Amino acid sequence: MEFKLASVDSIIIYFGNEISENIALKVKKAYLCLRELNLEGIIEIIPSYTSILITYDIFEYDHKDIQEVLKNSINLDAKDTKAEKIVTIDVYYGSEVGLDLEDMAFKTKLSMEEIITIHSNKYYDVYAIGFLPGFAYLASVDERIAQPRLSSPRKKIPKGSIAIADTQTAVYPQDSPGGWNIIGRTTRELFDKKLDTLSPLSVGDKVKFNPITKNEFIKQGGIV
Amino acid sequence: MSFEVMNSPLFSTIQDKGRFSYTSIGVTNSGVMDEYSYFLANKMLENDKNSNIIEISFSNVILKSHVNTTIAITGAKCEFTINEISKKIWQTHHINAGDIIKVGKIFEGSRVYLGVKDGFNIKKEFGSNATTIKEKLGGISGDKLKKGDILPCKNASYKYKMRLKDKYVPDYKNELELRVILAYQDNHFQEEQVKKFFSSTYSVSNEFNRMGCKLSGESIACDINGIISEGICFGAIQIPSDGQPIILLKDRQTIGGYPKIGSVLSIDCFKLAQVKPNCKISFKPISIDEAQNKVKEFYASFNV
Repeated sequence: MEFKLASVDSIIIYFGNEISENIALKVKKAYLCLRELNLEGIIEIIPSYTSILITYDIFEYDHKDIQEVLKNSINLDAKDTKAEKIVTIDVYYGSEVGLDLEDMAFKTKLSMEEIITIHSNKYYDVYAIGFLPGFAYLASVDERIAQPRLSSPRKKIPKGSIAIADTQTAVYPQDSPGGWNIIGRTTRELFDKKLDTLSPLSVGDKVKFNPITKNEFIKQGGIV
Repeated sequence: MSFEVMNSPLFSTIQDKGRFSYTSIGVTNSGVMDEYSYFLANKMLENDKNSNIIEISFSNVILKSHVNTTIAITGAKCEFTINEISKKIWQTHHINAGDIIKVGKIFEGSRVYLGVKDGFNIKKEFGSNATTIKEKLGGISGDKLKKGDILPCKNASYKYKMRLKDKYVPDYKNELELRVILAYQDNHFQEEQVKKFFSSTYSVSNEFNRMGCKLSGESIACDINGIISEGICFGAIQIPSDGQPIILLKDRQTIGGYPKIGSVLSIDCFKLAQVKPNCKISFKPISIDEAQNKVKEFYASFNV
């Protein structure tokens, strides 16, 4: 763990300097540990691929105290005893909603069915949430279907779109401009005011995509 | 019992201190851009320190009162009238049912704060009334104020008339020095780049809103092009590949991949909130110890 100042009341902890499963696991352990401890005077905790940003109450801790407290509180050796949360997201992978599916099949020399199977067979880790509220960066996508971002981003990607950029995949929680490759769509809400947590996902969770038929998608309220 | 919005042509929102503990899922803190004006308005009204307030960023906001109460008005120097009679700002005013409150032209500064005794009675969303339009959270249905909106508030007999001493009323000039804590990727900026950053004068561009403030001037080079996305705090100074600094403010995105040279002291960001495009900006380094003392002094002076 390397500590670095971020601002007058924030400090950032680095766990490594590359995107890897190993480093993500450390971030996850530290994040769950801090959430569990629920220390007084900690205002924000933002986990990401290799780091955790912490904003704290400077009336509780000065910049030296907070480092000590965090060093003593975070236990990376702890066995993760809690059962992992796995979130399953139903996806209709069809070319009407998977706007780049055909193009990806052409570029990867795979059939659309193969792309769907490869994408939906894996459990993905939530590495970070940001860009849009509830937008979870999931990794890692199988190299065979990894695709760079579109050269010119779309003005509007429909809410619920399932997307790929390089070895990352994500669900667009709302209509948004974006440059990721779109391969399907879900009716699952990724940012939902009815949830106490606002988002069904948090960093450290696992996500599995479950292919559904067009009929099932429509039954769930999907629009084709 | 309420205030009714008769006119809100551009951008006024309900704000408070902000929404906390949801940044981990990408929900920004939001909250008032200028905490100095905000805390003083609530203090003059003897309100709870976190009471909500109207943040007005453009002229010609008109409210009609359906209640007898007291308001406080702080922030940018503006044309301010009650029933078309010109009134002073940085003080409280008694309001009767039927009164028309108007914030006309803004002369100096750029954000006016209008608070009411005991705040507006609006349901909080996820712990806050702060409006974040991107998330459609807070305020009145997650949006800026529109003509016809009703802002419920109660009848309040508040005997006192409070006015801020002149020496505490800020002067919004066309130049501002911001204190910076070197932080984050500062060691990826070579010494002469850091020197250039602190010795140059920048100007505020038109890309200035609640999310952030883009400056233009001497371009600063960083040894690295981008970083692995990480959490962004209030005041963080991003240096994108064009070398023009961007200071991230209340509605900032929560994570991002541009290198950051450091962060502007939070209490100086409140001053930045009141400047206009073309304002001259310079930076001065401050140590973390001194920075923490200054910020503590600031909040201690409001008992918050």
